[in-house]
This record gives sequence, C-alpha cells and structure tokens, in this order.
Amino acid sequence: MINSNYTAQVTPGIQLLSDSQKEEIHSATLELLRRTGVKVLVPEVRDLLKKAGCWMDGELVRIPPHLIDWAIRTAPSRVVLCDRIGNPAMELEGRKGYYGTGSDTPFVIDAYSGKRRKAVLDDVGIVARLVDALEHIDFLMCMGIASDVTAEISDLYHFREMIRNTTKPIIYTAWNRKNLEDIIEMAEIVSGGAESLRRKPFIALYSEPISPLTHANDSCEKLLYLAGKGLPVVYTPGLMIGGTGPVTIAGALVQAIAEQLSGLLITQLIQEGTPVIGAGGILLMDMSKGLISYAAPEFMIATTAISEMYHYYQLPIFSFSGCSDSKSFDQQASAEGALWMIISALGGGNLIHDVGYIESGLTASYQQLVCMNEIAALVKRFMRGVEVNQENIALDVISEVGPGGQYLSHEHTYQNFRRNWIPELFNRSSNEEWKTEGALTLGDVASAKVQQILETHKPQAISKDVSDALDTVIKKAENRVK
Amino acid sequence: MSDTLSTISTLIIEGKFADMISITNAALEEGLSADKILNDGLMPGMDHVGAEFKVGNLFVPDVLYSAKAMQAAMTIIRPLLAETGVETAGKVVLGTVKGDLHDIGKNLVGMMCEGAGFEVIDLGNDVDPEVFVEAVKEHKPTILGMSALLTTTLGAMERTIKILEGAGLRDKVKIMIGGAPVNQDFADQITADGYASNAATASELAKELSK
Ligand code: B12
Repeated sequence: MINSNYTAQVTPGIQLLSDSQKEEIHSATLELLRRTGVKVLVPEVRDLLKKAGCWMDGELVRIPPHLIDWAIRTAPSRVVLCDRIGNPAMELEGRKGYYGTGSDTPFVIDAYSGKRRKAVLDDVGIVARLVDALEHIDFLMCMGIASDVTAEISDLYHFREMIRNTTKPIIYTAWNRKNLEDIIEMAEIVSGGAESLRRKPFIALYSEPISPLTHANDSCEKLLYLAGKGLPVVYTPGLMIGGTGPVTIAGALVQAIAEQLSGLLITQLIQEGTPVIGAGGILLMDMSKGLISYAAPEFMIATTAISEMYHYYQLPIFSFSGCSDSKSFDQQASAEGALWMIISALGGGNLIHDVGYIESGLTASYQQLVCMNEIAALVKRFMRGVEVNQENIALDVISEVGPGGQYLSHEHTYQNFRRNWIPELFNRSSNEEWKTEGALTLGDVASAKVQQILETHKPQAISKDVSDALDTVIKKAENRVK
Repeated sequence: MSDTLSTISTLIIEGKFADMISITNAALEEGLSADKILNDGLMPGMDHVGAEFKVGNLFVPDVLYSAKAMQAAMTIIRPLLAETGVETAGKVVLGTVKGDLHDIGKNLVGMMCEGAGFEVIDLGNDVDPEVFVEAVKEHKPTILGMSALLTTTLGAMERTIKILEGAGLRDKVKIMIGGAPVNQDFADQITADGYASNAATASELAKELSK
C-alpha cells in the first residue's frame, strides 16, 4: 500500500494570532523601539548599544530595526538545561514544555499547621524536596523568600538550599551583581568548574527589565556578568496592563516584547550566542482592588499570545501556570490553577513557572504544588490527543468481540489500559467507599501527599567537599555584608 | 445647598477634571468661600466616590479621574484656604524605599491621597533614607509614606525612622507604611504610626493620622 502525505499524530494546541497579526505586532514593536526607545541606566551597556549603531539621547536609546532582527537570529533557538549531575534535563525549544515552581514569595502555607506565615529557609528546602520527588514538575524556583537569614544575601542561602535538596534544574534570582557572582561561584563548584558549567548549565538566572521600557542598574549589571560568561538567563518583563503598560492586550504585547527584545539585543552584544529565555509576564491589574491578578483570563490570553510571538521568532519561552489569586488552597486555587495548566500546555511555552503560587505571587502553597502535579499528569494525557493507527483503531478486536460482547477481559484491553490516565489524588470511588476512607477533600489528600514526600523522599546529596566549599562562599559573603 | 456646589460634587463624581477650573472660579464669583467649596462641594463628591469604590461600583481609573478633578480645583482654592488660615488636609511626602523599584502601589496611594485633598510630594522610587529625611525637613509634611515590596528593602523603612529620630524630627511627622510584604506587626515593630493594605484604606489612614 502507498499512503502519501500522511500526518502521523496531531496533538492539540491553540492559536490566537494569525501570521499577519504576528507581523503587525512585530512591526509595531520595531517602530516603538525606533521611535520611543528604551531607557538604559548603565553607561557600559549604553556604550555597547551606541557602538552597534543605536541612536543615543542621554539614557534613552532608540534602536534601528535591523539590530533587533539581528539579535533574534543570533540568540540560540534552543537552550538545553541539565540536571545537577550534568545530564540533559530540559530542551527549551519549539513547543516542548516543562512545569516548574515560582520564586520569592514572602509567605507560605505551613505544610503541617496549614497556617499562613512568613517563609523561612527551611521552606526553600521543603519545596526543593517536593519538586525533586514530583514526577511532572521539571524544574525548581525557590518559592519562599527566607526571612530567617541575613536579608542582604538571602539569595545565596536560597541557592545553597536548592542545591542541597534537588538534582533538577534551578531557575534562581539574585538581588544584585555581587550576590550573582557568589551564586555563580557556588554553581561552578557544584558543576566542577566554569567550563563545565557553561557546557552543562543546570541553572538559569531569572531577571527583569522594569516596565515601562527601562533596563535598570541591577538588570543591566546582571546581564553584563552572565552574558559575559555565556550563561543562561531568563530576561522577561512583568508588565501590569493598565498600570505599567497599556490596558489593551495588543499594546501590552508590543511594549513587553520591545522590553524583552531590547534586552535580548543587549545580551547578544555582550556575547553572541548567550542563551536567553524570553517572552514575558503581562499581568492584569484588577481595577476594583488595585492589586495584581495571577489568574485573570487576560493574563492567560496575553501569555498565550506572547508565546506565539516567540514561536514566530524561534526563541525559547518563559511561561506561567498553576497559580492563583486565592488566599488559601481552596476551590478557587484549584480551579484557577487547573485552567492555567491546560492553557499553558496548549500555548506551547517552554519554561512554564509559578506552579504553586497563591495570593497572586505572595504565598507559596505546597498543596497547590502537589495538586498541580496531579493535573500536569492529566494534562499530559490530554495533550497526547488521539493516537490514530491500525493498532488503536483495532478493527480486528471489534470484530472479534462482535455485537453484544465485552472488552473487559480482552487482551487488547489488558495490553493498553495503562496508557489511559490513572489518578493518584483525585477521587473516583463510590460514595460509600469515600465515606469509609474518611470523606477526605482534595486539600486533605494533597496535605497527606506533601507530608508523605517530606517524610520519605531523600534527594541525592552533594558531597561533603562541595558542601563545605559552598559554606565557605556564604561565610565570605556574610563578612562582606557585615 | 447651592446649585453650584452640587454641580461641583457631580463633576467630581464623574471625574470631569477639564471642567473643574471654570466651575470652581464660578463658585468663587458667586461669593462662595473656598472653605465652603472644599467641604460642601468637593469633599462630599470624593466621599461618594470613595464609598462607591469600596462596594465595587467604581474602579481605580474612575477614582483617579475624580482625584484629578479634585486636584484641579485644589490648585485654585489651596492658596485661598491658606490665606484664610483654614486647615487643609495637609501634605504627604511619599516614596518607594532604597533598592526597591516597585512603584505602582505607591503611585496609586499618592493619587488616592490627592483625591482626599492632600498635597502629595512624590519622591519616586529607590529613595535613600537621607532623602526622605531631607524632604521632611524641607516640606514639613503631616505624613511621611513609605512603600516597600521586597523583603530585602523593608529594613530601609526602619533605618529612615531611626535617622528621623536622630535628627529630632520623628515627632514632627506621622509615618505610614505599606507594600505587599508589610503588615501591622511589622509597622508596630518599627514604630510606624500606621499601615494600610490598599490605596483606599491608605488615604483613609492618612486622614485619620492627620487629625
Ligand atoms: C509588578 C511587579 C514587579 C515589576 C515592578 C514594576 C513597577 N514599575 O512597579 C517588576 C517586573 C519590575 C518587578 C521586579 C522585581 N520584583 Co516584583 N513584583 C511585581 C508584582 C507582580 C506586583 C506588584 C505590584 O505592583 N502590585 C500592584 C500594586 C498596586 O500593589 P502593591 O504594590 O501591593 O500596593 C498596594 C498595597 O500594598 C498598598 N501600598 C503600597 N505601597 C504603600 C505605601 C503606603 C504608605 C501605604 C499606606 C500603602 C501602600 O496600596 C497599594 C495599592 O492598593 C509582585 C507580586 C505581588 N502580587 O505583589 C512582585 C513581587 C513584589 N516582586 C518580587 C521580586 C522578588 C522582584 C525582583 C527582585 C525580581 C527579580 N528577580 O528581579 C525584582 C526587583 C526589582 C527591584 N529592585 O525593585 C517579589 C517580592 C518578594 C519579596 N518580598 O522580597 C514579589 C512578591 C513576586 C515574587 N513572588 O517573586 N516586580
């Protein structure tokens, strides 16, 4: 048989923008950078931009279109992040998506008491161990911001705590350049040297331009250092529609992309080929509360649309998921979280973060995290779509069973039923059984799962030598800030 | 109530800032005092806006339009009030602390305070403790408002209060603080006079503190 032009498998996806609309948005972005420009607060970075041919006006830099197109072509389309051991763990390219947590929440919901309290260093260890154990959470951001260590260098403590408790790739934050240098020193120790870290990076910095249209001191300094070393960086704005960006999504997209792409240009001027993960957060400012929403449909639309733009640029994408505005792990938290999980999967972002955030990024919920791990499994099943082939169409099996027969005991069922999703936390039992088992809610089950992981899961430890060397870096930093 | 005063209230509620100068001047020509315009025209309008915002019938941009209208009228009547020695709401010096670039929350608080009749001096973001102290010396505000969104920058609030104490200025000004990681406990701990969790309560707090 000949079967020409056959497409083997179609998985679901969404599309919000047509090709013409993508071109229109890109062209508006180039026009914004040409006409209005961006503020760049560090002279060394301005010099680079000037040399490249930008139009300078004090701190304001206007950028000719060809430079942006050059940066898009020059930056890598794929960034591979490894695990702590050095094995490839995430291929950030195309429509390959990976879920991970978020960073720096001042509060957490305690794993045992269920009370909201200030985050401490131990919480960073807890979330790292959870991520290490959870099958569908692929990378770690620190979640809690430790209130019980020296505040000036809490980022160093976060980093060490993460290293100690997971082998999965880490997206970290750094308060300033000096701290970043210390963090990289730690990462090089773990990886076995600077060359090894560059070749097999298991970490990427998360840093941001300041909307509207500003590359601030710390942002620039961090880029200078990291791009200088050719190490991966997530550089994405956190724009608030109607606050620090236009209230209309199309305008917000243009501004956010202009902020990101001008940042991308800076990295490529510092060192061509620097791995950058792009796109950006376009969050809704809730106009009745005057606060930020992490689960508004507008945020979901904007995230999907900016992902489409970065697919069009063929650049790796930072995306959002599994987060909520709810104050506790409740119905709202799971509804918003679940909606995000499917939308971000369909949208095709690569590094999909903030899973487990509640209270619009102010609180970390471990229950939310394990619940979203469950939903990730469900979503992955959905995303496989319908696998159409002779084996699955199973005409022979249907004939064999025939009218009035049954499939339960057929070998085809036995061979294939495990390919369907089997929930771990979600309950499908009878009412009777559910009652006998204690009439547990999803919250109860999620808590039990958190506690079970914390009590049983032992992540692969780092060696004593490495551990001591990390401690030395932190001691040095303590003395520096004293 | 005079028609002009109720028109002023309505224009405030509708946020018609472009019309405020002419209506305020018309009211003065009618012989209404600045004091009366403020307390029987502008304030009832703003109070209504505040109440409607609280119950969710009006939104931030609505309130900001009303605040703009209030500001426009105040530019005319503030000097007159000062001449006649009538107490106005006073001045608020406002800023986001050193090392912190989050400024939308602070801006919103500023605009709400303007809406409540305060004169607001906004020092911007990344403000050194010393700059806050200088501004207190220079502007003699009723209230100093500080905003911080980062755990690493919360300490700058306490440092500012310490420096104010050192300069003998602490009892000259009421201090209110805010920002997502801030709470009442923290405000108590650093001996601030008040804390508010959103911009609407912030302007109420400012009024409360300046009593
Ligand atoms: C938008 C945003 C940004 C924008 C800010 C742009 C801008 N021009 O402001 C950008 C992208 C630049 C940014 C950068 C960073 N951010 Co940020 N950001 C946010 C976000 C999402 C929203 C903040 C916001 O504007 N909310 C809307 C406003 C209206 O609300 P608000 O500020 O809380 O203000 C209200 C009240 O608090 C109160 N209020 C505020 N000020 C005052 C003052 C007084 C006197 C009173 C009475 C009341 C009051 O009234 C306001 C109005 O209702 C928050 C998450 C969150 N949900 O808060 C994180 C968040 C604050 N950011 C965070 C972090 C870590 C950072 C970065 C360090 C990230 C990085 N790795 O680079 C940098 C730091 C940059 C710097 N040096 O400041 C953390 C803070 C953790 C912590 N406690 O330390 C948060 C909580 C998110 C997170 N979990 O990571 N961020």
